Amino acid sequence: MLFSSISFLYYFLPCVILLYYIAPKKLKNLTLLISSLVFYAWGEPKYVILMAIGIINGYISGLLIEKFIGTKKAAVVLWISVLINIGCLGYFKYADFFIENINAATGLSIPFLKIALPVGISFYTFQILSYTVDVYRKEVNAQRSIIDLAAYVSMFPQLIAGPIVRYADVAAQLKERTHSFEKAASGIRMFVIGLGKKVLIANALGELCNAYSANTDNSVLLCWMYAFAYSLQIYFDFSGYSDMAVGLGRIFGFELCENFRYPYISQSITEFWRRWHISLGTWFRDYVYIPLGGNRVSKLGHIRNILVVWMLTGFWHGAAWNFIIWGLYFAVFLMIEKFFLLKSLKKTKIIGHIYVLLAVLVSFVIFGSSNLSSAVKCLGGMFGFRGLPFASELQMYYLRSFVVILILAVVGATPLPKKLAEKISKIKDGAVLDIIEPVFLVGITVLSTAYLVDGSFNPFMYFRF
Amino acid sequence: MNQNIKSIITVSVMSALVFGFSAWNILGKDKTYSESERRELAAFPELTQSTLLDGSFMTDFESYALDTFPMRDTFRGIKSAAEIGLFQKLETNGLYIRNGYVSKEEYPYNEQMLDHAAERMRFIYDSFIADKNLNVYFSVIPDKNCFLAEKIRPALDYDDFIKEARKRTDYMQYIDITDLLELDDFYRTDTHWKQEKIVDVAKRLTSEMGVELTCDFTEKVLDTPFEGVYYGQIALPLKADEIHYLSNDAIENCRVTSYSKGKPEETVVYNMKKADGKDPYEIFLSGAEPLIVIENPDAKTDKELVIFRDSFGSSLAPLLVDSYSKIIIADIRYMQSAAVGSFIKFDKQDVLFIYSTLILNNSLSLR
Repeated sequence: MLFSSISFLYYFLPCVILLYYIAPKKLKNLTLLISSLVFYAWGEPKYVILMAIGIINGYISGLLIEKFIGTKKAAVVLWISVLINIGCLGYFKYADFFIENINAATGLSIPFLKIALPVGISFYTFQILSYTVDVYRKEVNAQRSIIDLAAYVSMFPQLIAGPIVRYADVAAQLKERTHSFEKAASGIRMFVIGLGKKVLIANALGELCNAYSANTDNSVLLCWMYAFAYSLQIYFDFSGYSDMAVGLGRIFGFELCENFRYPYISQSITEFWRRWHISLGTWFRDYVYIPLGGNRVSKLGHIRNILVVWMLTGFWHGAAWNFIIWGLYFAVFLMIEKFFLLKSLKKTKIIGHIYVLLAVLVSFVIFGSSNLSSAVKCLGGMFGFRGLPFASELQMYYLRSFVVILILAVVGATPLPKKLAEKISKIKDGAVLDIIEPVFLVGITVLSTAYLVDGSFNPFMYFRF
Repeated sequence: MNQNIKSIITVSVMSALVFGFSAWNILGKDKTYSESERRELAAFPELTQSTLLDGSFMTDFESYALDTFPMRDTFRGIKSAAEIGLFQKLETNGLYIRNGYVSKEEYPYNEQMLDHAAERMRFIYDSFIADKNLNVYFSVIPDKNCFLAEKIRPALDYDDFIKEARKRTDYMQYIDITDLLELDDFYRTDTHWKQEKIVDVAKRLTSEMGVELTCDFTEKVLDTPFEGVYYGQIALPLKADEIHYLSNDAIENCRVTSYSKGKPEETVVYNMKKADGKDPYEIFLSGAEPLIVIENPDAKTDKELVIFRDSFGSSLAPLLVDSYSKIIIADIRYMQSAAVGSFIKFDKQDVLFIYSTLILNNSLSLR
């Protein structure tokens, strides 16, 4: 089920909120768990079992690791648990990718498994992994209540598209959390903003990207428009979904981690990745990069660590070479910055911004392409290697038709709207904002509903991850 | 305002909105048909173990939730208004508004479609007409995009399109009607032309085909407002069109036979039962009909005409009734071209192929 759907907004969510607030404190996690299972089953009925296996594996492993802590048995249990988790992820997400490459390399013709990717598997698998590792590291106690652990893993606000919530961050909240009008209002605000980002901006930009794919009459302008629109679409799509998740979390009393912090205002790729998909970046840092030795190893070892982490980051996004190349592409920039460029970039703000935007635009062309050759085609078009005309009449029409959306998206990707809201909050001691805010929230909700009711274009990009 | 009161207001307002629509959704009576979109709405899906397990219940439920959402048309209107007003998009749902007219750009030129249409016409000509030494005419009706003064996006080159169409049909005499048409000849909310505005077109056609047209018509207006096909699609509060129709003694006294059910059935030129139906334009010759024969017992001539047409022909054909003793109107969107010979005996008639650019550029429906 998508957050940005009528069935979620006007059927599922009101029912769950009602049940959750009626339920006594003791049963709130159980209510959340049952709701989350229904939410997941709505899209993937048969894969609920797979998620249940993951939860049971995490639960038993956590308890056993804690029991055997300080002995080799704890490490054995941890490794078994990790292998089960990675095995499931590998089988369901990567099996056909490996078969395809083995077939290509050896000339064999192993048949494809053609397994449908279970929605959210990359996210909940990483959560279970972080839980068992954290128990092993004695950073958290093993959860004794399977309901609480299952509620954590399957919690619908973050189940299918993150943020990747660490157990350590919500362990205390699972036991004791507060509910207040203030928290709920802040959650609603965040949710509605996320909904608007997704439905009003990301989906509109998606239409422009589709126009690129459908257009046989290519040009330099169209390639740039696509790169620009796609980079903004993926940001508004994913950050919008993350905002909705954080907002929903607050409505149910949880404080989930921030996942995006205006990445497009970064002046270096290093900074970009501190602002983009923060929960994934920190997950790889804490569970892969640092265990590998991080930067406290030889220069070659450091380079190896960066390459491994970024190859895995790319691969996490999808079972295709363009994702691996996308990850390694960032690894190259990060290494160049780490070893040479970072200091200079800090001195020249504008050049830093331009450099980041260009590097990111190119990266998302690689990321968004169905295969490497279409990525090369688009990049070739952008940089004038294909001898394409600058623009056609039709493409100028697209530009004119989407110019307001593009401007809104550019402005919305910066902290300007937030700063504007802060300024308004100072007018007449906040009285103006007090009036504007509910009107704005209702307006965005009504407008988003209108777009959804009309059956508009409404894909969700991070579902496939 | 105290932060807590502000929060209470935010929560209350948003709860009222979401829970209100939720309750309305669940408790309200579901609509089954959308007049504005001219389609059946999705019904509550069947809930069984298998529909749950294969996920079809969930998919169908989403369609049901979208289709039966309270104030659906209002919400669709809000979306269109936002697209055009707020986001300044040049079109919404593929439609644009210019000079008060709603239209969908017919673009780009589809050579394969024009080839297909030409091939169907050639097939009919070769199979049933060529050896009969009949006069065969061809005319293209440019759609209203051709007349929208200011082009807002790349559009079909109509001169070029007609040139291409003529090139493929050079065995027929072409009758040009483009110069007789202007924007006002089309409905604002529909694709079609207005019958009361095409008398000059009828006159040109008959004159080129060597018959006289009596332009003695009485203009009547349909009581029902005409919300054309684009009206519902664009979902904006536009003023509906009016359908005017022209009549005279010949039209009123003629005998009309429909063959839509395979056997002859008596019908009328202006079918008023259709006025309150989903598409009032269907009053003209009852809308989609594979074959209609109009016989005029008071005709001053024994000339007969066979028209191969699309829906534009429905409002044109009645104007020609007075000039012919018999008009056979065939629509090969609803009958196989190969079956034409079974229903029409070509011997002495004139034959007119008249199609709009909308059909010629999207001709897969021609069978």
